[in-house]
Amino acid sequence: MSKITFRIGGVHPDDNKISRNCAIETLPLPPTVYVSVSQHIGAPAKPVVAAGDKVKAGQVIAEPGGFVSAFVHSPVSGTVKGIVSRKDLAGRPVPHIEIAVEGDEWAEGIDLSDTLVTEIPSDKAVILEKIKAGGVVGLGGATFPTHVKLNPAPGKVADCLIINGAECEPWLTSDFRIMVERPDEIVVGAALMQKVLGCRCVIGVEENKPEAVEALKASVAKLGYPDIQVLSLRKRYPQGGEKQLIDAVLHRQVRSGCLPIDAGAVVQNVATALAVYEAVQKNRPLVTNTLTVTGDCLPVERQHNYLFRIGTPLSFIMEQAGGVPEGAAKIISGGPMMGKAVSNVDAATVKGSSSILYLTEAATKRNPQSNCIRCGKCSDACPMGLEPFLLNRLYKAGDADGLEKNAVQDCIECGCCLYSCPAYIPLLDNIRQAKGQVMGIIRARAAAAKAAAEAVK
Amino acid sequence: MTNTVILTIVILTLVGLILALVLFWVAKKFRVEEDPRVDEVEKVMPGANCGGCGFAGCRAFADAAVKAPNLDSMFCPVGGNDVMKKVAAILGYEVKEKAPRVAVVRCNGTCANRPRTNVYDGVQSCKVKAALYSGDTGCSYGCVGCGDCVAACQFGALSMDPETGLPVVDESKCTACGACVKACPKGVIELRNKGPRSMRVFVSCVNQDKGGVARKACSAACIGCGKCAKVCPHGAITVENNLAYIDFTKCKLCKKCVAECPTGAIHAVNFPVLPAKPAAPKAAPAAKPAATDATPAAERTDKKKEAANE
Repeated sequence: MSKITFRIGGVHPDDNKISRNCAIETLPLPPTVYVSVSQHIGAPAKPVVAAGDKVKAGQVIAEPGGFVSAFVHSPVSGTVKGIVSRKDLAGRPVPHIEIAVEGDEWAEGIDLSDTLVTEIPSDKAVILEKIKAGGVVGLGGATFPTHVKLNPAPGKVADCLIINGAECEPWLTSDFRIMVERPDEIVVGAALMQKVLGCRCVIGVEENKPEAVEALKASVAKLGYPDIQVLSLRKRYPQGGEKQLIDAVLHRQVRSGCLPIDAGAVVQNVATALAVYEAVQKNRPLVTNTLTVTGDCLPVERQHNYLFRIGTPLSFIMEQAGGVPEGAAKIISGGPMMGKAVSNVDAATVKGSSSILYLTEAATKRNPQSNCIRCGKCSDACPMGLEPFLLNRLYKAGDADGLEKNAVQDCIECGCCLYSCPAYIPLLDNIRQAKGQVMGIIRARAAAAKAAAEAVK
Repeated sequence: MTNTVILTIVILTLVGLILALVLFWVAKKFRVEEDPRVDEVEKVMPGANCGGCGFAGCRAFADAAVKAPNLDSMFCPVGGNDVMKKVAAILGYEVKEKAPRVAVVRCNGTCANRPRTNVYDGVQSCKVKAALYSGDTGCSYGCVGCGDCVAACQFGALSMDPETGLPVVDESKCTACGACVKACPKGVIELRNKGPRSMRVFVSCVNQDKGGVARKACSAACIGCGKCAKVCPHGAITVENNLAYIDFTKCKLCKKCVAECPTGAIHAVNFPVLPAKPAAPKAAPAAKPAATDATPAAERTDKKKEAANE
């Protein structure tokens, strides 16, 4: 058993990677795709197409709306039907670009072949530009634009690039499948990002995926890039959290209010590495991603790992996978720990979509909550070293200062507290609210300080 | 023995005198000059400390009122015009009377009108629920029904109707402090003029979806058709983002829009029930005379209302 893991907190949910042996299948094209303009953290992208335009797959259809923003490309070829307001997973209206699919024609200059391109461009600006032009965002969940993360602020230097292959969320196997099926591409993608940052690289994989570790090690040995290492980590949730992974691999802690770069690390997901490879070596923008269809009420033979075009409605994927299984009470997009319940199955997939998870009522029904007995299990489980029971009390008392003093803004919303609470207190729900409130106060304060500084000038 | 008693009395008396002198000096030296009118004003305030006026409490309001050059921008919604008159009398200011207001729930998404599409199993708090997703119906704008407004109301004026799943305002208790407006994450509750004899016309919907989508989610939704805006003789109705809004300062309570609305999203409340006319064969013609009948009454009350607004 590997000893490498993060030092504080964490829980051990059953990993339930039932769909691990389902090879990636390419999903057929849907009749219509709906491409959201808000697929990343930061400013929404601005559409550059209008109703009636003919687009090819891989063509830019929306441009970044700010510094932290990303290009959006057409995932299919066809006709733009218009920019429509459509509800996302949570039922909130978001502008989407509706494209009726006609054939499957790709924009010029995109290499669709399977040949591995191992030669790395010597100019790192070229790599960064291609990553930006490819609309690559972090596919580990946060969907932060990759080109921004790979371009640290002046004065900040990364000495280690960590490729996150932990996939610590139970049930999900999409990252596992790409690590097993396309390890070479991932290693080249890692080497490209390593070139940009000019540092060493560690690929961290949890030890419940030995095939992935073997495949990546073989690729690293075969391709011969210097300073790339594959590490097998102990299975523990939330190992895939940026700050936890840095702690596990480098034994460094990211201080409160700091970014990973302040600890000299940049973390990118394996799926992001694959997207970087395709964007840089194949000129192929991020228009596809891998998604797991799984769940405890779905027999193994109906579980899938699909390569889907971004913008495909969830309902289309669900149909292709044989419809909603009997006994499914809750549909979750993302893993069971951090994923979101889907209230609108007509929602379109986005760059960060990673799964459709069907769970039974028995697995998801909340137990009635009882009183806190101060057992401290939540504090033991919190990987950020916070005291969830205290934050919950402070939130209920409306004490914003107390919440900030107790670092509610450092919460990564992993759900370990909620998972470990024997009294079934909805700790995370309340703490998430408190975090939003405190983040708002911090941002307002920063804006006021900035305005005051400018007024002095 | 006697000596001890006398000595004790003398020492204690001396200590008492010295401390009294110290206290006297401290009271002189550190005296905070405060306008005595602040206390007087505070005495006439309702003392609810609800914050409805925008100040931290009644004392803060009294303090600000004494310092303010006039009372134009200050109003105690709980005490209303009576309290403001008293405050003005103490401070020697003129006071403009304001039309009394009341909290209005602008959602008619009852269980019958707005079928549930999913079950919510999380924390029973509107804030938490609204942060997670749009709610357990197809409508992503309306009331999510966990009762944050009920918890926020200090006056017991709000309650949840278990049949409709919507909050109900008890107009006799509502003071229009606005706590529920702040508590509602969906912006469903609005403070509107109470109206003459509490008669009001308002759009009971906040859905900004296009007509078809809104209608599919809720049979009583405003579909933004604009019929009400066309029929309104006073220009009180505007349609923006597929949603009609009635400006209560312009509305003359003619109720033409109420009859025109195809989904029944416009509500007229507290109007006297007119005796049913047996001669009217259909509902539509019956509605018309009712509307015309109401006009003179509305005009009469308008004058009162205008006076009240001044």
